Amino acid sequence: MAEKVIQIKNVKKVYRMGKEKIAAINNISLDISYGEICCLLGKSGSGKSTLLNLIAGLEKPTKGSIIFNRCHMERMNEDQLAKFRQQYVGFVFQSYNLLSTLTALENVTLPLIFRKVPPAERNKRAKEMLDAVGLSERANHKPSEMSGGQQQRVSIARAFINSPQVVFADEPTGNLDTKTTYEMMDLITGLAQKNKQTLVIVTHDLEISEYADRIIHLSDGKIEKIEQNKTSETGKEERR
Amino acid sequence: MSISDVIKMALRNLWKRKLRTFLTILGVIIGTASIVVMVSIGIGMNESFQKQVEEWGSLQVINVYAAGSDRYYEEEEVQKDKKATEITTSTIEEFKKIPYVEAATPVMNEYICFVAGKYLTDASVQGIDPASMEAMGYKAEEGRVLQEGDSKTLVFGADVINNFYNPKLSWRMRYDSPSPEVDIFNDKVMITTDWNYGTRDADKALKPIKAEVVGTLRSGGSDGYFVFMPIKELEKIKIEQAEYEAKKYKDRNAQKIKKGVYENAMVKVDNMNHVKEVQETIKDMGFRASSLTDQLETMKETTKMLRMMLGAIGAISLIVAAIGITNTMVMAIYERTREIGVMKVIGASLSDIKKLFLTEAAFIGFAGGLAGILVSLGASKIVNIFAVRTNSNMLSSIPIWLCGASLVFATLIGIAAGYLPAKRAMKLSALSAIKTE
Repeated sequence: MAEKVIQIKNVKKVYRMGKEKIAAINNISLDISYGEICCLLGKSGSGKSTLLNLIAGLEKPTKGSIIFNRCHMERMNEDQLAKFRQQYVGFVFQSYNLLSTLTALENVTLPLIFRKVPPAERNKRAKEMLDAVGLSERANHKPSEMSGGQQQRVSIARAFINSPQVVFADEPTGNLDTKTTYEMMDLITGLAQKNKQTLVIVTHDLEISEYADRIIHLSDGKIEKIEQNKTSETGKEERR
Repeated sequence: MSISDVIKMALRNLWKRKLRTFLTILGVIIGTASIVVMVSIGIGMNESFQKQVEEWGSLQVINVYAAGSDRYYEEEEVQKDKKATEITTSTIEEFKKIPYVEAATPVMNEYICFVAGKYLTDASVQGIDPASMEAMGYKAEEGRVLQEGDSKTLVFGADVINNFYNPKLSWRMRYDSPSPEVDIFNDKVMITTDWNYGTRDADKALKPIKAEVVGTLRSGGSDGYFVFMPIKELEKIKIEQAEYEAKKYKDRNAQKIKKGVYENAMVKVDNMNHVKEVQETIKDMGFRASSLTDQLETMKETTKMLRMMLGAIGAISLIVAAIGITNTMVMAIYERTREIGVMKVIGASLSDIKKLFLTEAAFIGFAGGLAGILVSLGASKIVNIFAVRTNSNMLSSIPIWLCGASLVFATLIGIAAGYLPAKRAMKLSALSAIKTE
């Protein structure tokens, strides 16, 4: 087995709803390897998004530890987490989350701006990235001037520009039609495979889970089963 | 984030909400302009006082009176318990040794007559050390002021020159005829203590003394009605006059004039700001001392309340503007919660977020301050036009430092007003922020 990029050990996340305590994640242990495409599949309320937030360092676990590249994420403070996200992580959201004041190109450069990359270099890289997602002629458009699919492409370009080790995608196609969904999934998995990046996808859609090497079925905050998807490549071929 | 990126992004965010940004800046403009104009009126008032007082004489000169003299009413009760001191030549030397003192001279006052050609006038004469005249701030309009080595030398105030009359004429005729043209530099000028000189009652025993006029002083102010001459000569004239009168009227009780003892002195200080200190030192020596700086201070003191109130009015409007900035920034955070969350998730550090919001607030303060200064420059012109028209001393004056200080102040107000919202933006949880719709 390849080296592990993320190790989740006995993680528990408890939310307080009034007087009741609800365990969104209940004692999960899971390892994710380098270059793996991993899918967290489950119904709404299964804890899949919470798990993603925990791995990405957006939330802290109530118990247990999450080790990313030998770093204990639960021990990092806000600033360290910001640095960590700058360096190792890319995000694709369901609702794109582009900054409305910035053009497509500027949205893509944003992670590099936070890393203080000089303008000439970051613009060059952003253009290459927009090229890769097939949006080079829309570089100077604002998000409001683009379709949902185009906005998601910009957001994918933004997630990958930093060559992060891991890209997280939270329901990346939830707002898109079927045809665009497949385009988007091909794009994300293609980019991840090309650069040997780890991809963690959260979805409730069985068809999307077909793209993953490994499908983790979640239910009520627990891992129901883990399924090795031997046919991930062939599955895609069939649809084409 | 680099500084240029922060500024670029901040400006873009402000530009996106043009109207709101403009209204907030307008608040700062009004605040800055009102504080600048109010302060400038205070400064202008002080300046006009200073000009007014300078008309009366130099602000660096302290007038010293022998404590026993009755020239000035009981201005200082404090002096009573100190022994009455006389001003002598050695006192003057002591004055010169006080730190910051540039020059000191004894002063003697007398009222005598002057002859120019066939015309006569009477005037106040001040006898001073001729070497110190320039240092005391006197400036010749024509010719020169007294110098070291002068003896029978006079400097005429311009208004004295216009007061000559023909002694042969009766009082009525003197009034009716135009004042004669006197060429003070070329006419034969003499000093006399005979008030009837040139008339039938003239006292032949009093010989006038020939003198030379070397300069004139400008009309008006404190100099115009005086004639200045070296104190040694004046003292001599005074003593001779006293002796003559004692002999003439056989008055044994006639006041004896002591040589080398004076009632007044003038002390010149190097800088206006040291006047008070030197004045205190002289008072401690047992003399009475007053200066125009005293009067200026009194004038400033009386208007201090007014100036403070003006400043307070300005300050209040700037505080209101600051609240406006805070409000705008808090609103911006509510609107941009999601955006802040996204930025945090894709790698913005807490300090990036803080810098971004502080820069936006600082820019509002800076832009408002800049425009506010321009507005107040215009307002200051208008105030001055009205002040001149109504002859009031509510002049407005905006020095450069006031412009600079108010610009810095407005920017700092902006930053201070943006601090709370920025802190709030920092504390937003990235996760809940991106979930916000």
